Amino acid sequence: MSLWSGAIQSLLLGFSTGTYCAMYCAPVLIPLVTGTDNISLKKTGILTSLFLSGRMITYIILGIICAGAGLLVSSFFDPVFARRLSVIAYIFCGAILLNNSFQKMKKKNEAQCRGLKKISVFTSNDYSTAVLSGLAVGLHICPPYWATLFLCSQSGSALYAVIYFICFFAGTLPFFIPVFALPFAVKKLPALKKIAQITQLLIAVYFIIFAGIIPLFFYK
Amino acid sequence: MAVKVLLSALMAFVIYFFTISMHGANIITWIYGAFLLYLFISMIFTGNINKYRRIFQFVFAVLFTISFIGNLYDERGSMAITQNALFESEIPFCHLVIPVSIIPYALTKTIIFPARITGHYAAIVSMLVIWLTAALTIGRGWCSWACFYGGLEDGFSGIAKKQKIKLLPKSKEIRYFHFAFFSFLILMGVAFLSSIFCEWFCPFKLITEFTPIVDIPSLIATFIFMSVFLIFIVILPILTKKRTQCSMLCPFGAMQSLLDPVSIYRVAIDTDKCTSCMQCASVCPFNAIDIDTITQKKGRPEITCAKCGACIDVCPQKAIKIEFSFSKALAKKCGPNILNPDSKLQKFFIDLLNPKYVFMFSAFTFGVVISSMLSTDGMRRLISGLLSALQLGGN
Repeated sequence: MSLWSGAIQSLLLGFSTGTYCAMYCAPVLIPLVTGTDNISLKKTGILTSLFLSGRMITYIILGIICAGAGLLVSSFFDPVFARRLSVIAYIFCGAILLNNSFQKMKKKNEAQCRGLKKISVFTSNDYSTAVLSGLAVGLHICPPYWATLFLCSQSGSALYAVIYFICFFAGTLPFFIPVFALPFAVKKLPALKKIAQITQLLIAVYFIIFAGIIPLFFYK
Repeated sequence: MAVKVLLSALMAFVIYFFTISMHGANIITWIYGAFLLYLFISMIFTGNINKYRRIFQFVFAVLFTISFIGNLYDERGSMAITQNALFESEIPFCHLVIPVSIIPYALTKTIIFPARITGHYAAIVSMLVIWLTAALTIGRGWCSWACFYGGLEDGFSGIAKKQKIKLLPKSKEIRYFHFAFFSFLILMGVAFLSSIFCEWFCPFKLITEFTPIVDIPSLIATFIFMSVFLIFIVILPILTKKRTQCSMLCPFGAMQSLLDPVSIYRVAIDTDKCTSCMQCASVCPFNAIDIDTITQKKGRPEITCAKCGACIDVCPQKAIKIEFSFSKALAKKCGPNILNPDSKLQKFFIDLLNPKYVFMFSAFTFGVVISSMLSTDGMRRLISGLLSALQLGGN
C-alpha cells in the first residue's frame, strides 16, 4: 500500500469513528476543562490541545512499535493484551485525575506552603493532567485503532507509522469541537465548575476500582 | 366546597376507569379504588397534600415490590437475572436508566439496556411514553407522586420524630453531588456503552432483580447494592427525614430536575409573606430549599423541587403555593383583573382552575394510572399469600 492511500485510509478511519474516540475521551476531558480555574476559550483550547497531544504521542509510539515489529506483532499483540493495556491505562488515568482532584481540594492549604506547591505543580496542575491523561487515553484500542496499527505493522516503516497515526488522529479532531462550548456554559452556570470537579473525582475512583483493579484481578 | 365535590367526583370516575374497569371489577380493585378515593378526598378537603401523598406513595412502593417480585417468580422462577433473560433482552426497563440510555442511543443508535422495545408494561417504549407525559405535566413531581421506588424512602423518613442529622446547611453541596453523580453516570454510559448505575450502584436491585453471585465482581456488586440500599434508603432517611437516595443518587430525579422548567406547574414562594422561619427548608425531603433560597428571596425552590407539598403544608404564613408556569405571563398579557370574578359562576370556574387543585388532580391521576395495575396485583398476591399462610398454619 502506498503512503498516500494508507494516509487517506487512516484519515477516513479516524473520521468515520471519531464519535467513539470522543466518547472515550469525554469522561476525562469534559470534567477537566469544565472544572478548571478561570476557564476561557484560550485555556480550553490549550487544555484540549495538550490532552489530544498526549493521545497522539501514545498513538505514534504504539505505531512505531508495531512498524518496528512488522507482522511479528501479531504474535504478542492480541485482544487480551490490548484489554490489559486498556485496564492499566484506566488505573494510570484514574490516579492522575484523583491526584488532580485532591490537589484542587487542598489548594487553599497548599498556597500557604510554597515548597509543597512547587513540588506538586507538575503532578497536579490541569496542564500536566491533560497531557498525562491524554497519554493514558491513547492506550484504549478500538477497532479502527486496530486497523491503523495493522497498516503500520504492514508498512514496516516508522515514518509511515507516524504519518498514518497523524492522519488517523486528524480524522478524529472535528469531534472535539463541541468542547469549546464549555466556557460559555460555565460562564452562564458557575455551579458547573464545582459539579465538574466532583464528577472528575467520581470518574477517577471508578477508573481505578471498577475499570481498573476489578477487571485486572478478577476478569480473565 | 362545590369545586372540591366536583373534583372528588371526577377523581372517582378516573379511579373507576383506571383501577376497577381496566383491571376487572373484583373485591381487590374495589378496595384499592376506595383507598385511593379516600386519600384524594382527604387531601383535597383538608388541603394537607404531603400527608396523604406519602401514604399513597408508601403503599404503592410496597405493593409494587410484592407485584414485581411475584411477576419475576412467575416468569423466571427466581429474582436473579438469568442468562436467557439477558440474551433475549427481557430485563424490565426501569425509568432510572432512561437518562443514561438516551445519549448513547443518540450517538451510536445503541440501546445499552437489554429490555424489550414494546409489548410489555416495562418495555422501553411504554416507559418512554410515561416519562415524556410526566416531564410535560408534573415534571419532577414524578418523584413524589408516581415513582414506585421513592415511597420506600418516604416510609423510612417518616419513622423518626425528629431529625438526628440536619442536612440543611449542606443542601447546596448535596445538590452539587447529585448533579455530579448524574454527569458521572452519563459520561460513563457514553464511554463504556453500559449502564454502570445498574451494574454497580442501583440500590433497588435488592428488592427487584439482581445479578446472581457467581464470581468476585458479582459479590462486590451485591455488597455495594446492599450497602447503598441500607445507607440511602433505610438509615439516612430515618436519621435525616430526607429522601437521600432521590436527592443524591437517582439519575432519573436529576434529569427530571433539569427538565422541570418544561412542566406546567411550579412551586412559588411569596417573599412578601415569608418570615424566613426556615420550616420549609427544614422539612423539604429533596433539599430543594436551603438557607440561601430564603435569605436571597429567590421566590421559588431550587430546581430539585419535586412538588411533594411538604413545604406548602408546613408554612405558617401560607406563603408557598403551587402555580402554573405560565401564570405570570398570562397575568401580564390579560391584566391584573383576570382573576376578579363578576358572578358566582365565574368564581366557581376560577376556583376550579386553582393551580393547587388542578395540580393535585393531575398528579394524583398520574399516580392512579401508574399504580393501579401493579398495586392491585401486589394486593392480590399479598392476600393470597396471607391466606395460604393461614391455611398452612391451620393444618
